[in-house]
Amino acid sequence: MLLELRDISVNYGKISAIRNISIGVPEGQIVTIIGGNGAGKTTTLRAMSGMLPLQGGEIYFDGKRVDGMAPHKIVAHGIAHVPEGRRIFPDMTVEENLRTGAFLRKDKDKIEADLEDVFNRFPRLRERRRQRAQTMSGGEQQMLAIGRALMSDPRVLLMDEPSMGLAPVIVEEIAVIIEEINQRGLSVVLVEQNAVLALELANYAYVLETGNMALEGPASELHDNEHVRAAYLGL
Amino acid sequence: MFELLAQTSLNAIYAASYISLVAVGLVLIFGVMGVINFAHGELFMAGSYVVVALYADRMVPFFVAVAAGLIFVGLLGLLMERALFRPLRDNPLGGLVASIGFLMVLQALAVLGFGVRMEHIPPVTQDVIRFADKISIPVARVYVIVTAFVMLSALWYFLKRTRFGWALRASAQDPEAAALQGISVTQTAMIAMFIGAGFAGMAGALTAPLISINPHMGHSVIITAFIVIIVGGVGSLEGAVLASVVYAFVHTFVTTFFDGVLADITGLALMLIVLIVKPTGLFGSADRA
Repeated sequence: MLLELRDISVNYGKISAIRNISIGVPEGQIVTIIGGNGAGKTTTLRAMSGMLPLQGGEIYFDGKRVDGMAPHKIVAHGIAHVPEGRRIFPDMTVEENLRTGAFLRKDKDKIEADLEDVFNRFPRLRERRRQRAQTMSGGEQQMLAIGRALMSDPRVLLMDEPSMGLAPVIVEEIAVIIEEINQRGLSVVLVEQNAVLALELANYAYVLETGNMALEGPASELHDNEHVRAAYLGL
Repeated sequence: MFELLAQTSLNAIYAASYISLVAVGLVLIFGVMGVINFAHGELFMAGSYVVVALYADRMVPFFVAVAAGLIFVGLLGLLMERALFRPLRDNPLGGLVASIGFLMVLQALAVLGFGVRMEHIPPVTQDVIRFADKISIPVARVYVIVTAFVMLSALWYFLKRTRFGWALRASAQDPEAAALQGISVTQTAMIAMFIGAGFAGMAGALTAPLISINPHMGHSVIITAFIVIIVGGVGSLEGAVLASVVYAFVHTFVTTFFDGVLADITGLALMLIVLIVKPTGLFGSADRA
């Protein structure tokens, strides 16, 4: 496993948010975490990138223990996080946002190559490179958030609700992008309310319900699971 | 009449230059730390006393003393970050109260070290640049204007063109998202405190030979700075510089043509008008305020 959560629990104050969650992300695969509102999907993802302290359990990345590390240290190990609501830097230009994603890197030539790569992948970002990020549409901001995460040259990409608030056409575009990124060898952890999309993209899926792991299995199997179909796919 | 207008404008440019240095530092600290630094006027005062101690008392060359003022007060800023603001992170009100405590400590230390009397220190130069019969500017004031211009340009370059400058702006706009890019928010807080405090200290050091120095001089400085950053839009560096220029011109002209008390009232009225007409300030945006 490239990224492994072993029995992690997270509390918000005295309230338990997730309990004994174990998740494995194999190299080069897309793993999804689905579930309803407040199930603990975002909490799980935020715990992975060090933004929430664990009440119990351990997180390993490439064999090294990373729980308890500050978020800015975890990025250095190769875990990039595209946060919920995109969280781009509104008053910075598109290019400044992207270059900030490469903050920790020293390999100048490779940074320029990767910037070119992001611009090729997202031509609209190239057109708007000198524009302030807050002036862009939601879909463009999501692309910027993904591009910014890619600029850290990560090995695993954590994505929190990339489809949220976007038009169906743009959601399709984002889905294609996630597949392309994965085909280049990057592992992806996808948190989604849009279970149809998530199960279509992922190799393996976990279902969270009120902070507990309810179900897990290959995405195609969960897609045919009766409970999942009724509760999350609306079938 | 033209001479008077030109002369008053030169005086206003001088005032704008050191007010900008103070206000920009205050905005930078507020942006990155989320704390309103009430001790900012006392950091200005500390810079002045560095020049008293080194230049007036120990004959150190003036510009060396100014550089020392920048560095010494910048280090005071680092001390504030470590001792006050870091433990009180996520508690902006606590940070504000702690900064009020720190300003009292600095005032008391200044009284202990130098006494309560006014300090007048020997002029750096008596030279005056004369443009016409009634239009002139003392070279000592030119030093302040030029240094402020150079330092503000350097800050602009740092923030817009360098990796750490981007990191600083990113932390100011969204600390959590910045951390996700590998930026240490503690590190950017330290940079912001060093620059913000250092600029206030440098403004105090540069103007030391031109003003009367006492341990309580910070009051008027912080009030001016508050007016300026509210007019400019809290959180906007460009706004702070622009508002410094506006405020300095209004204040200087009213002082020249009427009197100083009326000028202070006008400055506060200017702030009130901006708050009524555009509460986010001239350059501020609603989501950032």
